Amino acid sequence: MEMFEHLATGFVAAASLQNLMFCLIGVLLGTLIGVLPGIGPIPTLAILLPITFGLDPLSALIMMAGIYYGAQYGGSTTSILVNMPGEASSVVTCIEGHQMAKRGRAGSALATAALASFFAGCVGTVFLAAFGPILSKVAQQFTSPDYFSLMVLGLVMAVVLAHGSLLKAVAMVLIGLLLGLVGTDVNSGLTRYTFGIDGLWEGIDFLPLVLGLFGIVEIIRNLENPPAHRTPISTRLRDLWPTRDEFRLAWPAAVRGTGIGSILGILPGGGAVLASFASYTVEKKITRQPERFGNGAIEGVAGPEAANNAAAQTSFIPLLTLGIPSNPVMAIMMGAMIIQGIQPGAAVMTARPELFWGMVASMWIGNLMLVVINLPMLGIWVKLLSVPYRFLYPAILLFCAVGVYSTSTEPFMMVLMIVFSIFGYVLMKFGCEPAPLVLGFILGPLMETNLRRSLTLSRGDPMIFLDRPISAGLLIATLLVIALIVFPQFRKTREVAFQED
Amino acid sequence: MLKVKSPQDLGAGIMFLLIGLAGIVLGRDLDFGSARNMGPGYFPLLISGFIVLIGAVVAGRSFTLEGPAIERLQLRPILMLLVALAVFSFLIREIGVVLTSILMMVVAAYARPNANIVETIIFAICVATFVAVVFVFGLNQPMPLWWNG
Repeated sequence: MEMFEHLATGFVAAASLQNLMFCLIGVLLGTLIGVLPGIGPIPTLAILLPITFGLDPLSALIMMAGIYYGAQYGGSTTSILVNMPGEASSVVTCIEGHQMAKRGRAGSALATAALASFFAGCVGTVFLAAFGPILSKVAQQFTSPDYFSLMVLGLVMAVVLAHGSLLKAVAMVLIGLLLGLVGTDVNSGLTRYTFGIDGLWEGIDFLPLVLGLFGIVEIIRNLENPPAHRTPISTRLRDLWPTRDEFRLAWPAAVRGTGIGSILGILPGGGAVLASFASYTVEKKITRQPERFGNGAIEGVAGPEAANNAAAQTSFIPLLTLGIPSNPVMAIMMGAMIIQGIQPGAAVMTARPELFWGMVASMWIGNLMLVVINLPMLGIWVKLLSVPYRFLYPAILLFCAVGVYSTSTEPFMMVLMIVFSIFGYVLMKFGCEPAPLVLGFILGPLMETNLRRSLTLSRGDPMIFLDRPISAGLLIATLLVIALIVFPQFRKTREVAFQED
Repeated sequence: MLKVKSPQDLGAGIMFLLIGLAGIVLGRDLDFGSARNMGPGYFPLLISGFIVLIGAVVAGRSFTLEGPAIERLQLRPILMLLVALAVFSFLIREIGVVLTSILMMVVAAYARPNANIVETIIFAICVATFVAVVFVFGLNQPMPLWWNG
């Protein structure tokens, strides 16, 4: 029952008028940007991150979480209506959702996506409330070698789940780690790779890095290859409610998706992408009418949408309890927390319970807002799809610049953003996906510290990573994952899965 | 004769090699230490070494594995966007957020061919007003509104 007391604390903190307002603004803005074709949650979060800086930490985190859900929901809308996934986790929704839209059931697909997400959101919140404290107790058992092995596993998973070539993804993680080390070495106090620039003493700033790599490069990509003009399927959005038959097929899928998502979200490297693919595969396997899949099977919308939302929530668990982001989206969340002066980890829950529980409660509120406010506003979001890009991109560019400037009036920040835009452009031309880099960047200093501590403890003996049971377990899991990739069959599945974009 | 089969991989491989080598060369003065007592150079040099290794493999592979070509570089979008960012960072202190935003968006509009100047300016004024209202009045960000601070 302790859980309900905690949740009550959270709701009191989150349900203040101010926080409700920021939650609403976050959800709306997230949907607004997320619905734009080709913009997934990572660029959306990056572009909107600066507007949360002036707020107090709880409001800022509530707003970021709202933006994240909004962005995901906006992405599903675009997938269903225009068949253009904003990011990997909506690829699956495209398959069945767009087929449904073609058959005139767009409204039903959108409502199913929203309702399944809401259901998953409710379960995810309870899950987070129940498992957060347990995991934070487990986290207290974690020692340096365990943290290090956990990060290794997380990074390996991030590589497996990245688009394109595995080797390139490994290199991106490593480059991210290296970039994360720029600045003053905490141990010796020496500066590394700073070229005598004062602005680099405290490391490379997070915001110019993500905005350059994701925000600006995204604009350049769209300008170079204007997305083929695809008109959204016009549908009578009044037909929102699923029919009785559709409902009967959808709800068990949503329940299964929620279960899959909740569990996969907690795993290192897990998250929305993995969960939606897994759920779709399960639905396809257990259906009695496999021929409906690929032609607009509603289970293929309800399951993955529930799964990605559940996973989106439960993937906050490792971040909030262990202080380790399990995927690139969470890396951005962690960046936002650090900018707010909060070091994520088990200490947050004990030292600032209103922050932890307030965020948990706000997730539920955010999900409710998505259904109650966003669904009726569908018409507006759909109209947004027809705003010409020539208006959108200068505005997005301006928001990136103002965002960086409002966090630091240092001109060097703008230079950094320009440098990372150019770097991101080169990466794009060479077919390298920058998402794993962000995860490496955030984990770089943490990994070094934990490696150093572990090896100091063991007097330089690397066996320490196998002597500790938690660490050994995590490393075995890492090896299994690597074995899976080397295994040709799985490799093929992975290639097929990412082929869509 | 060697033939490049995957230009993207060759480019990426060379880039990785350069980044890894830069990490090693620029970090050569950092004390490496030992596993027992890691110096500030230990972890970065280790990682740089791995990057070089992967770079070599990716570049080498590009001669045997088929892969996509590098898309043609288009200078206009990236150049105009970077100029727009530079305009912003130089002018914001001098002439304030409203005028800077308008100028920046006009420059950015020319990242596309045949921009419509009238339409662009009208739209830029609207967005600049919005930004000023949200960031300066709404979020209280420390930004000069006009040239007089």
